[in-house]
Amino acid sequence: MATEHETVAGAAPGQPAPDGLPPGGSGGKVSRTTSAERRERAAHPGWFLAPALVVMVVFFFVPTVFNFVYAFTDWSSFKSEINPVGFDNFVELADSGTLFASLRITVVYAVLVAIFQNVFGLILAVLLERDTRLNRFARAAFFIPVLMSALAVGYIFQAFLKPEGALNALIGALVGHEVTTAWLGSTTWTIVVVALIHAWKWMGLSMLIYMAGLKTMPGDVLEAARIDGASPWKAFWAIRFPLLAPAVTFSVATALLGSMNGFDVVQATTEGGPARTTEILNIFIYRTFGQGLFAQATTMSLVLFLMVALFAFPVIKILRRREEIL
Amino acid sequence: MNRSLTSIAALASVALMATACSDPAAEAEGGGSAGGGAVEWPEPTADLDGVTLTLWAAQNSTTIPEQVTAAFEKATGAKVEIVTIPDPYEQSVQTRVATGDKPDLAFWQPTASMLTALNADTNLQPLDGAPWIEELQPELQDMTGLLDDTRYAALISSPSVEGVYYNKDVFAQHGITEPPGSFDEMVDLARKLDSAGVTPFYGMAGDRWATQWWVQVQLAGAAANGFWDDVNSGEKSFESPVVLDAITRYRDLVEEGLFNDDLATATFEEQGDALLAGEAAMALQVNSFFGQLQAKADTATLNEKIGFFPISPSGNVGTYIPDQSNALVAFRSGDEQKEAAARQLLAFWMGPGYEDFVAGQGTISLKPDVPTPDSVPQALLDAHASLGDSVGSMQALAAANPDLYLNLADMVAGEMTPKEVAAATQDQFEQLASAAGVEGF
Repeated sequence: MATEHETVAGAAPGQPAPDGLPPGGSGGKVSRTTSAERRERAAHPGWFLAPALVVMVVFFFVPTVFNFVYAFTDWSSFKSEINPVGFDNFVELADSGTLFASLRITVVYAVLVAIFQNVFGLILAVLLERDTRLNRFARAAFFIPVLMSALAVGYIFQAFLKPEGALNALIGALVGHEVTTAWLGSTTWTIVVVALIHAWKWMGLSMLIYMAGLKTMPGDVLEAARIDGASPWKAFWAIRFPLLAPAVTFSVATALLGSMNGFDVVQATTEGGPARTTEILNIFIYRTFGQGLFAQATTMSLVLFLMVALFAFPVIKILRRREEIL
Repeated sequence: MNRSLTSIAALASVALMATACSDPAAEAEGGGSAGGGAVEWPEPTADLDGVTLTLWAAQNSTTIPEQVTAAFEKATGAKVEIVTIPDPYEQSVQTRVATGDKPDLAFWQPTASMLTALNADTNLQPLDGAPWIEELQPELQDMTGLLDDTRYAALISSPSVEGVYYNKDVFAQHGITEPPGSFDEMVDLARKLDSAGVTPFYGMAGDRWATQWWVQVQLAGAAANGFWDDVNSGEKSFESPVVLDAITRYRDLVEEGLFNDDLATATFEEQGDALLAGEAAMALQVNSFFGQLQAKADTATLNEKIGFFPISPSGNVGTYIPDQSNALVAFRSGDEQKEAAARQLLAFWMGPGYEDFVAGQGTISLKPDVPTPDSVPQALLDAHASLGDSVGSMQALAAANPDLYLNLADMVAGEMTPKEVAAATQDQFEQLASAAGVEGF
C-alpha cells in the first residue's frame, strides 16, 4: 500500500521525471520488496524447517521409499537374504483374486464411511449450530468418540452387537420376546454396520468442520435471503450448502481417504469376517505380514498407497471445482 | 527451502537406505554359537550371577514358566524376565524378530513349518545333544522340534492331540456305552443323537481356527502313508481327491444339520460352555479346549462329565499338533554368555526343575521316572496316551502352514465351495513354500 501511494504521489501532474519514469518508480519498488522479503526471511529462517523436515524424512519419506524398494524383493521371515525379484510380487497378487476382492471391499467401505460420516456430521452441525447451553453440551458429547481409541470403540460395539449383546436385549425388552440377531454375522450387511461404527466415531470431527463453515458465513447474505422471502429449507440448499463447499471438500476428502487406510475399527469388530466380507486391504496386509511374507505385504501396501493417491487427485479436484462458484 | 538443505535431506535418506537395506534380523550371524559344531550344555545349576535372560510368552502361556524360572533364579543367581507378547502371538513374534528384536528364549510351536517361519537356521540356537532327551518317553523324543535333522525346540509338556471331547451324561442318557471306533461310526452315532433331538457336534466357526480339525482327522490315514511328504514335494496337493473329499464330507455333515444351528458365528468360549452343559454331545478339538474346561470346572467334575476319544477313518488314531505352549526355542543373541545361560535354563527346566514344574502346573510328565500328579484329569491322560500311535497334523508335517481354517470357515458361512477351499489353500501353500525356499516351489 505504502509503495503504491508514494508512486502515485511521485508522479504528480506537472512534474514529469526527466527520463519519463515516475520518480521512485520500478527501481525503488523492487528494492522495497526485496527488503521486505529480507525482513521476512530474517523472521522465518530456512533452517527452522530442519527439525520438521528431519522427522518427515526419517519417519515418512524414507519408509515410503523403502515401501517401493521392498515391493520388488523376496523379503520374508524365512530367510536372511533379500533378493530383487522384479515384478513377481505384483504378478502373483494380480493372479490371486484376493487382492482385488480386498480392494473392492476397501473402496466400498471408504465410500460408505465418507457418506455416513458427512451426512451425520452435517445434520449435527445444523442441529447444534445455535449457541445454547444444551447445544454446547451436545457438541462436546458428540465429539467425545473422536477422542476415544478406535480399538476401544470397536470392542465396545462388538460386545454391544453380539447375538446376546445389549442391543438385542434392548430390542427384546421393547418387542417382548428374545431377539438373537447376529448384527455382525451377515455376509452382506456387516460392512455397512462396520462403516456406520467408523462413521459414528468420526462424525464429531465432520460436525466441527461443518460448524466452522456455518459460523463463518456472511450474515448479510442470509439476511438478504430472508428478506427476499426464502424459506429456511430453500435458504439452506440455495445459499448455505453451496457456501459450505470448502468444508465439504476437506471433510469428504479426509473421511474417504482416511477410511481407505482404516484398520482398527474393522479389526476390533470383525477381524475381516464373516467370511472375509469386511476384509479391507489393511487387514489383508496385516494377515500376510503375520505369515512372514513381508515382501508381499509391502507390495500390497504399495498398491494401497497408489490407490489412495489415484483416488485423492480426482476427488479433491471435483470437490474443488464446486468451490469455484464462490 | 534452500539448496544445501535439500542436499542434506537427500544425503540423509541415502545414508539411511544404505544402512537399512539388509535384514536386521540377520545381524547376529557369525556371532555367538556357530551352527553345525557340537553344542555345549552347561551344568543346570552353575553360577550365573549378573546374567539376565528374557523369555517371551503368549497370553495363554505366560504363567507356565513363573515357578520354574523362580527356582532357576534361586539356584543360579540369574534373573529371568518373562515378557508377555500380545496376541496374535506368532505374528507379533515374527514381526519383532524381523526387525532385529529378539529374546533369549520364547515359547514357540515346535513344528517344522513354524521353525522355518522363524528362520531357525539363522535365528535359533541348535539344541542338539540336549541332556534330557533320552530321559523322555521314547515316542516323544524325536516327535517334534526338529528341522532338517537339527533340534531347535525343547518340548516341555504333552503335545496337543486332535480328538473328540464328549459329554458322558449325554452319551449315557442315549444308551451309548462305548465311544465310536471310527469316523463313520461316529457319524452314525451323531445321526442317532440328532434324531433323538440332541445337537451331536458343537462347532465354533465364528472363531474359525477349529474348523480345520474336521479335515485333518480325516486325513490321518493318508498322513500315516506319507501324504504330507508328497505335498511337500509337489506330487500331491490340497486339491488331491483325499483332501477334497475330506472337505466335502465336512460340508455335507454341516449341511445335514449335525452341528449347532449357530455354527457359523459360535465361539471357542461358547463351545466350552455348551459341552459342559450338555447342550451338545461332542466337540472335535485340541488340548487347549480342555484347558478352557479346566478353567470352568474342577478335576472331579471334569472326570465325571467329560471324556475323550481320538478318531480317524480307520480307527481311534489321534492327530498330534504340538502348539506354542508345548515348547520353547532359544535364540541366537550374539552374546555367548547369554546363549549358554539360555541353554542352561532349558537344561534346568527339563532336568532338576522338572518334577516341581510338573507338580506345580498339574500337567502330564513327559519322563517315565517323574510321576504325573493326581490332579490331572482323565481326559487329558487319555489324550496323552493316544500320542503313542498318533500321526502328524498338517502343522506338524507340511512344509508350510496355509490358512486352511479360514477357507473352511468361509465355506461354513456359505461363501466358498469345497473346490474353492482346496484351490485357495493350495495357492497359499505354494506361495509360502516358495518364500520358504522349499525345493520345487
